[in-house]
Amino acid sequence: MIWGRIWASRSASTHLTAIDMATRRQLLAGLLATSLVPRHSWADAGNPAFLSAAGLPGGGYALCGISDALDVVFRIPLPARGHAAAAHPARAEAVAFARRPGTFALVIDCRSGKVLAKLQAPADRHFYGHGAFSADGTRLYTTENDYEAAEGRIGIWDVNAGYRRVGDISSGGIGPHDIKRLPGTETLVIANGGIETHPDSGRSKLNLPTMRPNLSYIEDRQITEQIELDTKLHRNSIRHLAVSKTSSVAFAMQWQGDKIDAPLLGVHKRGQAPRLATAPADDWRAMQGYAGSVAFSADGEQIALTSPRGGIVQFYDQRDATLQQTLQMADACGVAPTQDKLVITSGTGTIQTLSGQTVQNDDLLWDNHLIPV
Amino acid sequence: MRLILALVALLPLPALADSTRSIVDEHILPGFAALAETTQTLQNTAAETCTRGDPLNTAYNAAFDAWITVSHLRFGPTEQEDRAFALAFWPDSRGATPKALSRLIANADPVAETADTYAEVSIAARGFFALEFLLYDAAFADQGDADYRCQLIQTITADIAAVSDAMQQDWQNDYAAKLIEPSADSPYRTPAEATQELFKALNTGLQFTSENRLGRPLGTFDKPRPNRAEARRSARSLRHVELSLTSLKSLALALAADAPDIQEKLDQRFTKAIDVAARVDDPSFAGVADPGTRIKVEALQSAVESIRQAVALDLGPHLGVSVGFNALDGD
Repeated sequence: MIWGRIWASRSASTHLTAIDMATRRQLLAGLLATSLVPRHSWADAGNPAFLSAAGLPGGGYALCGISDALDVVFRIPLPARGHAAAAHPARAEAVAFARRPGTFALVIDCRSGKVLAKLQAPADRHFYGHGAFSADGTRLYTTENDYEAAEGRIGIWDVNAGYRRVGDISSGGIGPHDIKRLPGTETLVIANGGIETHPDSGRSKLNLPTMRPNLSYIEDRQITEQIELDTKLHRNSIRHLAVSKTSSVAFAMQWQGDKIDAPLLGVHKRGQAPRLATAPADDWRAMQGYAGSVAFSADGEQIALTSPRGGIVQFYDQRDATLQQTLQMADACGVAPTQDKLVITSGTGTIQTLSGQTVQNDDLLWDNHLIPV
Repeated sequence: MRLILALVALLPLPALADSTRSIVDEHILPGFAALAETTQTLQNTAAETCTRGDPLNTAYNAAFDAWITVSHLRFGPTEQEDRAFALAFWPDSRGATPKALSRLIANADPVAETADTYAEVSIAARGFFALEFLLYDAAFADQGDADYRCQLIQTITADIAAVSDAMQQDWQNDYAAKLIEPSADSPYRTPAEATQELFKALNTGLQFTSENRLGRPLGTFDKPRPNRAEARRSARSLRHVELSLTSLKSLALALAADAPDIQEKLDQRFTKAIDVAARVDDPSFAGVADPGTRIKVEALQSAVESIRQAVALDLGPHLGVSVGFNALDGD
């Protein structure tokens, strides 16, 4: 609702500035990019390798494109704090979601900075901040809260019809947060965090004693597989996902209680039992019960798990999900695969790869997630 | 309490966080002692009479007051075995409490024969809110068999007393020392971690009062939700806001003990909010749809929000609590 209000009052001059800025950046980026590319492709937008929402130190928010060389290739103002984004598989379009409990999402032309469409959640629904495209880019799927019924839904949007809503299906649980598509398929995997919230009470959690998070797979609109952890772990909210090239699903969790050494990472492969990551109790404790993002490395060998609260990033061997190493990084949260294995962003403005390449953006506070394009 | 101080004095100690010790001694331990005492009285009273009205209502109110006063301390003994939810299952957005009670009554389920067995029932059927239905809600005045209802009241109060006693014992004999004296074996390794836990309790306590105790009944202007007010059946909704503010004020001022400017600011904002609460003449927030009443409840919520702001922007940084963009407010 805040998003809507601010959006409505945004002045035309702000909008022009946004386009000017984006155009200038695009010109700079254009020097590096090939000149013979189809219009509105990602090359036009400066070939970003990643998208990330950001906060601005003086207030205000933006959606940014970041290149493989870790340069910020575009920066588009957002009317309120973003969360994650979904990148169209071919066109230079990104859907920027307002963070929970936002009811708007903006489809942005990352070349011009123009808003191409505005997604409005239906009455008594809000978005959770994540979405995924179908393989051919004709459908967008969004995680939503039907908050009067306390049911998770997946909204379906027709991209070619200007992002028209065409229906919705059950997410398979309460509080669906992250959603990903398994590579080479139309199978969706959804992290149903299990936590009931209602916008009347902000971000307050309404059902901690009874919450039951799960991981759900949806094929052809039907839930075809569902994973729940042991009931002892029912307060471990399954929130964020990463999918490997071989369709292993890594799920990052947030512990909703007092226990401080609960495992915050699990790996699941369809048709098999989920495997919880193993790490010494002190290492779990250092995460402070909170994993912010998860990613597989580009070679698929490692899984990175960030904790902004602990100021650390943990790296796990994907074969047996055991802890290999830990990196100290203040307010680290976003993480994504890159040629150099993994890249991490932080709320301090730092972008850092595993090999130690670091870029500092003092005018950007990187928000929760780094999305590969 | 004397025992803990004696133990502490005997150990070769690093510098103790004085504010943590005074919070434990003056805020936490007396609060849980009062809870144990009033819930024991509630159990004894119910054992003598399970008739609606006094003296049972008085005992219920005193015990519920004691719980609300410590209910923000959601860590350690309070969180073990879901004890806090066993005392207070709210919000109950799906109406699980009346459903669970009706089921027990309809079946005259023998699980209600003792507090021990009752600890196994649905958590929604335990605690103060279940008791409130039995003591105040018209739908439960004559449901099922009177003797069974009486037994249910006696067992629920015994369960409340047992849970409260367990919290008090654990705080007194174990957890107070862990908080005061961080170590490698304690859940808190440094005084800073203990302070962070107390800060978190303050923060989430304020959030709960603003977003749930006030936010749920307020709903939206077009859709006010008086039926979602906390403990409205016993007309305790406003009282819970006042009790929580008074209790959180003492915690906040103690946390700011060595920063007089911040302490004064917090004192002013809490005092203001408590004054605003005193002007809301609507104990169960039944009037949130009425513009005249609504504006007062909204003003109360704004006053609580201004406390939250001072806590986040002034007290948090002063205590060195992490304020990273993502760490502070993740998703």
